[in-house]
Amino acid sequence: MTTTTRLMAATAVLALAAPAFADTSERRIALSNNYAGNSWRQAMLESWTKVTGQAVTDGVVAAADAFTTAENQATEQAAQIQNMILEGYDAIVLNAASPTALNGAVREACDAGIVVVSFDGIVTEPCAYRIAVDFKEMGRKQVEYLSGRMPEGGNLLEIRGLAGVFVDDEISAGIHAGVEQFPQFSIAGSVHGDWAQDVAQRAVAGILPSLPDDIVGVVTQGGDGYGAAQAFAAAGRTMPVIIMGNRQDELQWWKEQRDANGYETMSVSIAPGVSTLAFWVAQQVLDGQQVPQDLIVPFLEINQDGLDAALETTPAGGVANVEYTLDDAKAVIAKGGSAN
Amino acid sequence: MIGPTVTRPWFWAFAAAAVTFAATVALTGSQGGVELLMATLTFASFSVLVGLGQMAVITMGPGNVDLSIPAVMTLAGTLSLKLMNGAAGMEIWGLLAALAIGVAAGAGNYALIFLLRIPPIIATLSASFVFQSLAIWSNRGLRIKPPDSLAGFSTGASLGLPNLAWIALVAAMAFWLLIERSAYGRRLSAIGQNLRAARLAGIPVEGVRAGTYVLSAAMAALAGFLLSCFSGGAALNMGAEYLLMSIAVVVIGGSSIAGGNSNVPGIWGAAMFMFLIVSMLNSYGLGAGVRLVLTGVIIIGIVTAASGRRLPG
Repeated sequence: MTTTTRLMAATAVLALAAPAFADTSERRIALSNNYAGNSWRQAMLESWTKVTGQAVTDGVVAAADAFTTAENQATEQAAQIQNMILEGYDAIVLNAASPTALNGAVREACDAGIVVVSFDGIVTEPCAYRIAVDFKEMGRKQVEYLSGRMPEGGNLLEIRGLAGVFVDDEISAGIHAGVEQFPQFSIAGSVHGDWAQDVAQRAVAGILPSLPDDIVGVVTQGGDGYGAAQAFAAAGRTMPVIIMGNRQDELQWWKEQRDANGYETMSVSIAPGVSTLAFWVAQQVLDGQQVPQDLIVPFLEINQDGLDAALETTPAGGVANVEYTLDDAKAVIAKGGSAN
Repeated sequence: MIGPTVTRPWFWAFAAAAVTFAATVALTGSQGGVELLMATLTFASFSVLVGLGQMAVITMGPGNVDLSIPAVMTLAGTLSLKLMNGAAGMEIWGLLAALAIGVAAGAGNYALIFLLRIPPIIATLSASFVFQSLAIWSNRGLRIKPPDSLAGFSTGASLGLPNLAWIALVAAMAFWLLIERSAYGRRLSAIGQNLRAARLAGIPVEGVRAGTYVLSAAMAALAGFLLSCFSGGAALNMGAEYLLMSIAVVVIGGSSIAGGNSNVPGIWGAAMFMFLIVSMLNSYGLGAGVRLVLTGVIIIGIVTAASGRRLPG
């Protein structure tokens, strides 16, 4: 054989033996992120760097660059998306500042043949893929759990998120739906904790004096459970069952209480690693797979038995997390748009 | 002799705080009243600390405002807790580190204003991006627990009052002496009333401005340090609330937003009112929308009442 034919033969063999994702090895994916100023977002970005870095090393994709806007403004993020179109990315994974304000930019990206996958902060533009969270179910589940613990029901305190944000309305609607489903519970008071421990602590401390003594449960939205516990402790009240939101300080406090007095509760949130699920979904779309336009993210739930294991894998001061694999993404895609 | 009291600019802030307190206690009963008072004193302390610094800055006249307060709080809280790393015996170093960060941040703010001739509102805003980024970069948003001694101290009480309230009371008295009784205070007011006249009168204007921005940032750093000890760790977004809060307590407290006239006692009244108004509206079960509208309307009412005496005619 001549050198040329040998090379050609080798190329042919390589092409035949190439793995299934060879189709995307030249493709470039960008992450457009609107906000980085809390521990959840930081964990989200770290998961992205870790998983996509490995994917680039393995030759699954050519690049997976992350960009975060400074001001958490939709206009700024729209400009960022337009830059990504000009830079010729093949797919944009998007955590959006607004469900509607970016639709124009997203449309432009689709028209340029770019795959757009939105997650967490999703966009309504039909051409984009959406990896959505069933926030209502997240709220309803909490009341369901409490009804299992306390069939006789009682008074609840609701800690909401940031007023005026879609997620806050959704989780709260789910909680109220749960209270309708289990009418033995009633919501005795409601405060806005802005998903921050210190704000929740202040708000709860302010409303506690006006609440009846028999608060049996606190329904939350995540990032507010530890603050609520601090406020109850400071007021010298009986500690109710506080639903936690997967933050390490919440889990640590739960463990301390469990060891001291057998305290039981549950914890539910979305893993920040959902960014990696979005990455794999984008990769699958680029790979030519059939992917439904609407997908649902699984919750990350921690129960009494899983507490120790969850605490071990959660960095001190961080958020409980899972990073998704290609197989996880395939499973979510196979499940399609059906909720849970 | 109610006349002179009513004309004091701080009267309305305290009156509003008393009315909201009474309205809430009407719902909670007297037992809840003590609980509410303790919570109010505790949480008002943070607003007092940042409000005092902001007041000094605003007193220097139009255009002077410190927008870097939230970022300085976050940076000081994050770095000092990281330095202490929850260990006993490091408390004093943590506090000194927080204050040093505040002084450095204030000096940075002033450097932008003086050397680059950037308006304070832009300088402190852009500096706050740098501070916030440093906080993110230094610890990636992980919450480090404060040492037990500091966590216990910041949530504890002495002589019947929360420890934090004692700190904020001492700080307020120190500010009162500084502003009402010291040469610095006179110079500060003079600059706020007429910058040109102050300069012609031989007042070291730039020295006073530098000192004031450093003072404001140091107060923010102290508040950030205490808040992160109080709430079990620093969070990247922990200062967010205190930007508007610091300005609101200055205005409601009876200081002139146009500068030249500051009011220390009013800061305390306004800080208590700002906590109580949220507690009252929460206790009455009003939704967030109604709450925000009512808060806005009440603040406008107080500011109008407090400044009413200065209206012409």
